Amino acid sequence: MLNERPVAEKGEHIIARHLIEDDRIKEEKNLVIDGVDVSGRWNTFIETRVDSEYDRSFFEEIKKTVVGSRINRCWQCGMCTASCTVTPLYRRFNPRAFIYMMQLGNLKELKKYVDVAWRCVGCYKCSQRCPKQVNPAEMMEALALVVKKYFPEELEKKALKIDEDVKKIYEEMILGRGRLDLAKLHTGSMRKMGRSKELLGKKIERDAIFKMIKDGRAFSVLRLGTPPKWHNSKKAIDKYLKNIGTLEESL
Amino acid sequence: MPENILVIGGGPAGLHAANELAELGVSVSLVERDAFIGGNPKKFKYKFLFPDLQPAENVIGELIKKAESNKNIRIYYSSEVTDFKENGKKFDVTIKSPKGTETKTFNSVIVATGFEHFDPATDSKYSYQLFDDVIDIKDLEKMMGEGNFNRPSNGKPPRNVAIILCVGSRDRHVGNQYCSRVCCTVSVKQAIELKEHFPEMEVYIFYMDIRTYGFYEDLYWKAMEEHDVQIVKGRVAEITSGPDNTVICKGEDTLLRGPFEIPFDMVVLASGMEGGPQSPEMSKKLGIELDEHGFLKPANITLSPFKSNKDGIFLAGACTGPKAIVDAIVEGGAAAMNAYIYAKKNAQ
Repeated sequence: MLNERPVAEKGEHIIARHLIEDDRIKEEKNLVIDGVDVSGRWNTFIETRVDSEYDRSFFEEIKKTVVGSRINRCWQCGMCTASCTVTPLYRRFNPRAFIYMMQLGNLKELKKYVDVAWRCVGCYKCSQRCPKQVNPAEMMEALALVVKKYFPEELEKKALKIDEDVKKIYEEMILGRGRLDLAKLHTGSMRKMGRSKELLGKKIERDAIFKMIKDGRAFSVLRLGTPPKWHNSKKAIDKYLKNIGTLEESL
Repeated sequence: MPENILVIGGGPAGLHAANELAELGVSVSLVERDAFIGGNPKKFKYKFLFPDLQPAENVIGELIKKAESNKNIRIYYSSEVTDFKENGKKFDVTIKSPKGTETKTFNSVIVATGFEHFDPATDSKYSYQLFDDVIDIKDLEKMMGEGNFNRPSNGKPPRNVAIILCVGSRDRHVGNQYCSRVCCTVSVKQAIELKEHFPEMEVYIFYMDIRTYGFYEDLYWKAMEEHDVQIVKGRVAEITSGPDNTVICKGEDTLLRGPFEIPFDMVVLASGMEGGPQSPEMSKKLGIELDEHGFLKPANITLSPFKSNKDGIFLAGACTGPKAIVDAIVEGGAAAMNAYIYAKKNAQ
């Protein structure tokens, strides 16, 4: 029987390994340089971490959108991050840093934050306090558009697709009926996440549903129908969304 | 007959202008809205002036003494200009004082109405006036002038102090887009004074840029190198109450990339300068131009910063923009010279 050797981890003998990202470490199985075999522990290479260019075209692209038009105003004081309601929960969500990355076109860095980039809750505290009126809250919308456009496969990978699906349910409800049906939103989202069973399983979830049926909230939408003069409102909202759609496509 | 020149405002610029003119034998009328002369430095009891930390009394006291003792200067305390008319190349001005109303003809006029300290209470995020331990630079200056370095809330020495720069300056949100020029230097000066009084105390300065221009940089270096004042890059967005009677500064450390919420015993807001209500008032009464920042506008900002857009009316000091006392005094002299030339030329 062969002695089983432990499988070496990538770059395991690098001191302060935690400071280097996986994809910057290059290791070859059999490496020969100038006729010298350097297989083994001497064939570990670390890609340079020095940024060698700024991509200004990206900045121009953001600037053309309505939500990102004030990107050239930002001077990185940090008032937005300091005001942010999300940052204390997700330290990696940093509006100031995102705006900086967008200014310099540093997509490589931005890519690392795809999973939190959409976390803005739209409280607009940052926009209210920003000394340069950059409107960081809407800049985060620009960021979301960027993430969507440049990192679609990342979005799939991080299971952010569900978020899109839930958004669809929400939109259909609002646009179709002009009312929000919380029960439907809840069950719909759970189904999308493949957690329908939990609705009947855990007591707390079940109770919530029974409660909503009992106090009539679940049927309220059916009973009340659409709001008065909904036709006109819907037309206005559709028109607005169409404009937004063209904006989104223009990016 | 000597020339008659009106000086409006009895701060450093106005006093210096009046003193220079009086030396030339001009009959000067000095109109002051307060019951005392000396302007903001006197009003808020500035104790030491940057950059050499000389007693403010050396400067302001000297100017006041000179003006009060010169027979050529007539000072109208608690007074205001109520009516202003052009009369050929001269000006007919009505001055209202507690002693009555008086109309005089002047050959030329110097406006030196100065500035107002920005009121941090108008920017709610700083919680000024909400917590006793949140004060601004003029409050601290006054406190230190009275020899009091303790916390306003309980009278005990503060263990750590945060100084927040750019309060009411460089901020579209409050409507002041300009840099107030002196607050950085005043703040590092105050940090040094605090450290000299309480060497054990920790002082942190929250900054976006530190603008101790020219030789004022020496003070900034001194604060760091001799007094261990720590600087942190990031603007503070919220001040809330903390445990053990502290106030918490919430901000972002933009260099380390991340939010902080740190309790301090005392917070000093480096509030800037504003044109105040007097600038638009002067603009309206005298018919001179106001700039987009709310200060009086010089005819040519580089060639003649001491002239208004109207012939015969001159400007001096912080009424044309934020500036240090030394600049105000220099401008007082320049305006005095120009007002004298105008008066001489058009005396007939």
